[in-house]
Amino acid sequence: MELELSRVDYTLVGITAPQTMKLLPNIGTRMMQKVAVADQDGVLQIFSVKKGDIQIGFKTLPGAGISRLELGGALGTVKDKIFVSSENEVRGYTKKGKLFLDFDTNLTEPIKSMHVSGSNLLVCGKHAYNQYHDCKDTNSYLCGDQINDVVSLSAEKANRLTPILACEDRMLRVLDRSSVLHNIEVDAIPAVLRLNGSDGGEAGDEILYGTADGRVGLVHVGRMDVDHRWILNDGKQRAGIVCMDCYDMSGDGVLDLLIGRQDGTLDIFSLGDDAGEEGKLTQRFSYSCNESITSVHGGVVGNAGYEEVVASTYTGWIFGLTTEVVDKQILMDTETGSMNISQDAQQKIMRLRFEIDELEQRVNREREKYQAATQDKVDGLSAIPFISINDKMTLCQDDASYSLILEVQTAIDNVLIQSDVPVDLLDVERNSAVVSYSACEPGSGNYLLATYRCQMNTTRLELKLRTIEGQHGTLRTYVTPLIQPKCCQLQQYKIKPLSLHMRCHSFDPQRPYNILTLKGAFSLGEIHTWVSFCLPEIPEKAPTGDKVTFTFVSTFLDTMLHCSYWKGEAEFQSDNISTISILKDILTKEATKKKIKLEIFCAVNDESVVHTLHLLHPKLEAQLKLSKQVALLEALRELDTHDAESLECLLPEYRHILKNEKELLAQYKRQPAHLDRLYGMITDLYIDRHKFKGINVKGKIPQLLEVLDKYDLQNLLNFFEQDPV
Amino acid sequence: MMAVPIFTFSLNHKLLPGRVTIGKYDGTHSCFTAATAADKVLVHSPHRRVGLASGRVVPSDANKELALLNINQSVLSICAGNLDVTEERDTLVVGTPTNLLAYDVENNTDIFYKEVSDGSSVVIIGKLGSFPNPLAIVGGNCSLQGFDYEGNDPFWTVTGDNVCSLALLDFDHDGENELIVGSEDFDIRVFKEDNIINEQTETEAVTALAAFQSNKFGYGLANGTVGVYEKLQRLWRVKSKNRAVAIYGYDLNGDGVEELITGWSNGKIDARNSRTGEVIFKDNLNHSIAGIVEGDYRLSGKSDLICCSVEGEVRGYNLLRQVNVQSHMSGGTANVETEVIRDLFTKKQALLLELRNYEGNSQFSEICAGDMGQQLAVANQHVGIIPAQTRLQTGVAINMGTEQKPPHVEISLSTNNETIISAVMVFAEGIFEGETHVLHPKDSEVTSRLDVALYPPRDVPVDIHIKALVGYEGSQHYHVFELTRQLPRFSMYAVLAERTQDVDSFVSFVISERLQRIAMWINQNFLLMADYEVQEDLNITFLSLRDNTEVTLSMESSGHMEISTRNMALAGDIIQSLATFLNLQELQVSANFPEEQEKIGELLQKVSALQDVRLRLGAEMADHSGLIRSLVVRAEDARHLDDMKSMRKWYLELNDVNTDMIRGYNIRCKNHQELLESLRQLNVIIQKAARLRVGKYKTNIVNLCRTALKNNNLNSLVKIMKNGEA
Repeated sequence: MELELSRVDYTLVGITAPQTMKLLPNIGTRMMQKVAVADQDGVLQIFSVKKGDIQIGFKTLPGAGISRLELGGALGTVKDKIFVSSENEVRGYTKKGKLFLDFDTNLTEPIKSMHVSGSNLLVCGKHAYNQYHDCKDTNSYLCGDQINDVVSLSAEKANRLTPILACEDRMLRVLDRSSVLHNIEVDAIPAVLRLNGSDGGEAGDEILYGTADGRVGLVHVGRMDVDHRWILNDGKQRAGIVCMDCYDMSGDGVLDLLIGRQDGTLDIFSLGDDAGEEGKLTQRFSYSCNESITSVHGGVVGNAGYEEVVASTYTGWIFGLTTEVVDKQILMDTETGSMNISQDAQQKIMRLRFEIDELEQRVNREREKYQAATQDKVDGLSAIPFISINDKMTLCQDDASYSLILEVQTAIDNVLIQSDVPVDLLDVERNSAVVSYSACEPGSGNYLLATYRCQMNTTRLELKLRTIEGQHGTLRTYVTPLIQPKCCQLQQYKIKPLSLHMRCHSFDPQRPYNILTLKGAFSLGEIHTWVSFCLPEIPEKAPTGDKVTFTFVSTFLDTMLHCSYWKGEAEFQSDNISTISILKDILTKEATKKKIKLEIFCAVNDESVVHTLHLLHPKLEAQLKLSKQVALLEALRELDTHDAESLECLLPEYRHILKNEKELLAQYKRQPAHLDRLYGMITDLYIDRHKFKGINVKGKIPQLLEVLDKYDLQNLLNFFEQDPV
Repeated sequence: MMAVPIFTFSLNHKLLPGRVTIGKYDGTHSCFTAATAADKVLVHSPHRRVGLASGRVVPSDANKELALLNINQSVLSICAGNLDVTEERDTLVVGTPTNLLAYDVENNTDIFYKEVSDGSSVVIIGKLGSFPNPLAIVGGNCSLQGFDYEGNDPFWTVTGDNVCSLALLDFDHDGENELIVGSEDFDIRVFKEDNIINEQTETEAVTALAAFQSNKFGYGLANGTVGVYEKLQRLWRVKSKNRAVAIYGYDLNGDGVEELITGWSNGKIDARNSRTGEVIFKDNLNHSIAGIVEGDYRLSGKSDLICCSVEGEVRGYNLLRQVNVQSHMSGGTANVETEVIRDLFTKKQALLLELRNYEGNSQFSEICAGDMGQQLAVANQHVGIIPAQTRLQTGVAINMGTEQKPPHVEISLSTNNETIISAVMVFAEGIFEGETHVLHPKDSEVTSRLDVALYPPRDVPVDIHIKALVGYEGSQHYHVFELTRQLPRFSMYAVLAERTQDVDSFVSFVISERLQRIAMWINQNFLLMADYEVQEDLNITFLSLRDNTEVTLSMESSGHMEISTRNMALAGDIIQSLATFLNLQELQVSANFPEEQEKIGELLQKVSALQDVRLRLGAEMADHSGLIRSLVVRAEDARHLDDMKSMRKWYLELNDVNTDMIRGYNIRCKNHQELLESLRQLNVIIQKAARLRVGKYKTNIVNLCRTALKNNNLNSLVKIMKNGEA
């Protein structure tokens, strides 16, 4: 059943980090709850809503930015103590605002995620996990890759502490004291963890995880075994999950899953009995607010008796989506079209206007002072603080392209994109900014210069770009917010040589592999740096242990790459000879830079080319068919409009094309230049295959393209087999 | 505000964008009319069956309310309107690449079918100037032609480039309509009958125009800009990444003033206040908009706004209903109060952030920088630091270029200290492919100086907005210096010390003006290092940076002025600019452009040759179609007699004829293209000749040329171009 919710804005705080807003529990189910929210200015505040007005319970003084807010309390009691983490400190407040805990963890890394369970405090930095029992350091674990979130199974139900970490290397790690109990492999990078139904289900051992590619899954974590219940897999592309909550929105005893995403979408799915069957969830509601959502929590806030979802956004909006039918005393005068705004609201607006007037005067004074300073002072400095930018660049598995999201606290004026490697910018429908490409002079070091001029009140810009494997460099964005004095900020993103590869867990040993072996006097650290220069998703520091192994899959071709290396030796296996060729080139260059001599062995498996072409075959065929169908469509349409009868005498194939016109066009539009990309890959494959044999076949490329034009797998295979000389 | 349509239905036909109209073909009932794929025109008449069952109109089997008109040529434009004042019903006018068809839908007969050799890319029906009858005005390749009910064309003139859009509006409040013409050369021209009374240069091809009451009009450009002009003044404009397919003036909120309704290529419709550009209404269709019209479609006595998409989805809107819907809608989008509060909060936040900037600044401003600036900047990565007295210095000059770089206009930017310019964004319209030009030097080549090379492609004044990112080397944070410069109209001309080329083309005339005034005009419109001062006689030579030709302006104190250049269009631009500056009402000149005169002769010859070929090809095609008919009959006869051998023979022959016909068709296409191009060039030359004159002489030229063209009189044509009279 679909929900109908309407938005109510409560207040605006500073920038909020993910998961820094929670509703305090209340005794009695339908009583009004208070909102606790902490922002990057370091302010924690508690407020309640009375008749649409905000009443602040308490507010702390500004300080270091708060990275996480959790609720806790002694086991078996109401969890109404508020814990906040900032830098490497954890502070605890009662709901009245009394500071009862001020704990310096002495960790070297700032705290990124935190969980409170009874008297146990679990905190995680980027790589380190620490557990404190009554503020005493009890257990710790150092993770090879970045930790994104931490929870523990319900202590009330399980009677013991079982922490679970969500790690960047597509793993959920279940800990027992200081060691790993289970490694749970998941399909995508887990970003958020949450106990199912907020208490972990009946036995308290069910965990929901949200991934960076927008999916959710449920795992059951037993003492002995782990069991994947389901993962949402309905083929829809959704933005990354930032926060989740479970709440019964309609009071019917069936829980709902609330999800806040990076692109500002808030989704509500039903967690009924059939949840997760065939990888599907029933969607009950979806709302888009154009700013990334940082926290969601279900409860009763605005009006007693009405369930609502409270959400916070990156720029600090706190708003509710309530089941209450907001009639909002708007009486539109049908004669004049003017509005009668309620008394309360009028007062609120008046108050705000007054505040703004005051602020404007202050700003004007300061502005003049600043102007004067730039004129008079000879030796002075003009220093403008950074505006924080929330950015994320992720590889989309579906279409092998990168999505880059830039979000600023205030409206953006323009964004300049520059790249020193060839990349294609793709159109994003949601993006309303006017793009303009500037010509790049050859030799200027620029391959892409584009400006986005944003429309009014745009705080968020979404870009999609396509990279080419084998070309590496840097993508720079200069973001200029619409704020005086005008400043702009530079962000840089590395584009790696094997940019379209993605980490995976299982390695298929059945394929024919080409093997590249390197030997030389390099340390593990050095080879690790070189590998991380080539491939994305490699942890910053080399994992502990002698031998390091990573497995990758190409998002575009589905070929695999297996890397394993240790001190003095490295081995790379891939069924795609181009991948090996790129690795060889880059690694040799890197080693030469460090003046390390390498012995290089390449075992080329001729089978692998055939294998790769077979892998490509279905993709290529589907693309060719699609473009043929689209080309036919126009002509068929003409027949269609001429008269209905002629439809009957068409081939079933053609009738099928007409019938599925919309899907075909949509598919065609979704994958621009896909065929060209495939052709490019095949050309690379051809060149690389012969390069390893020491033959330059650049001259044969036109012939290859001819063969591709009249594509037939056997002909192509024959062409590859031919002696190029 | 989102809106709910009052009615919505689907035509189940694909419509061509921009080719949508509405007409009362029986005098009372509105019929939505649009061009569809497959060379047809669709007439939707929900209230009444259209036409008789013979002629062009064929009622559709699938939908009784639809009727289709076979045109058999691709439909470029379509318009319905009252052409015959003696009858109170509308005529449908359809423009194709070669013809114009006026059609009586009610009686299902042609009214006239005229050849329009310049093509009919746009057509509009209405009264123009003092012409007694309404005209169907057709815009084609550089030409404008108006047909009356009988198919006569009392109105004909040329314009600067291919016509993309037309509108009729009483521009100067004299009770008569003027014609507003948008064309591919970015210009919006206002024609008072034959006379151009106004010209505005926009930044892209003008693809849409919509007339409003009270001499305002809306326009849309190919780059996604829409805006509103009131007389000569642009009230506002906005740019979107989508393209405006159709624009229309309709009073949606009932305040007595029309809003600009825009239909976008992404399916969005919005209504903007014509004075401020503020959006007061929007809706989304699933596909690109095909057109927007207004008509009484519910027989309610009021006219509704009707929008349709290329997929045939039609939605109607009207004002009163909107208000009712909103008061019933709960919360959400219609909630004005929340929106006001949200806006105020956002404003407050922006102010707080700015305040934070100044506070952050004051922490550092006390420190004396000296040479410390750079170190401080590196040490404090979370603040952007530059010395307070940093200035951005600019200079605009002509750079004669190097071997790699052609000559250009150069804007040099530099800072006054050790800070560097990391990148420069130049926003300007009409001089780059997009709207910006970016300079981003390599890390190793970043200095405190950066030169921007500009190549303005046309002689128009350009406003240039520069954003320079200034900071220390290796900085992550830059201060943005913004400044605006204007390039004069003739910035791509460098002054020469003396004349070096011998040019035999010139235009000369007499004006009673002081030499100093002309010198003033030169100083304002050319990019000079120092102001030009007149000694006895005015004599100055410029070199065009585009094609290395020279132009010399000379004037004696007697008032005799001569512009010698091989470029006739440039001479025209100079005269028009000068005339505006000096406020000249009219000017007759004598011109001598041998190259152009020669070209016009060649063109005339070419046109007549091409026309001959066309006739011959047409006859050939008729022969072939006769042949095909007989071949089919023979082949089928053979089939009935089971004589497979003969049947095969006939069909093979048929195939040969078919191949021939396809070849013939391709030749005809090419021939037609060439013909169009030649005619276009002819029109362009006439237009250039007209632009050498001002006022009534300008108009005269066009009319005289036309007569000469009709009589195919080359000598007279050359004479007209030279002296401005026959």
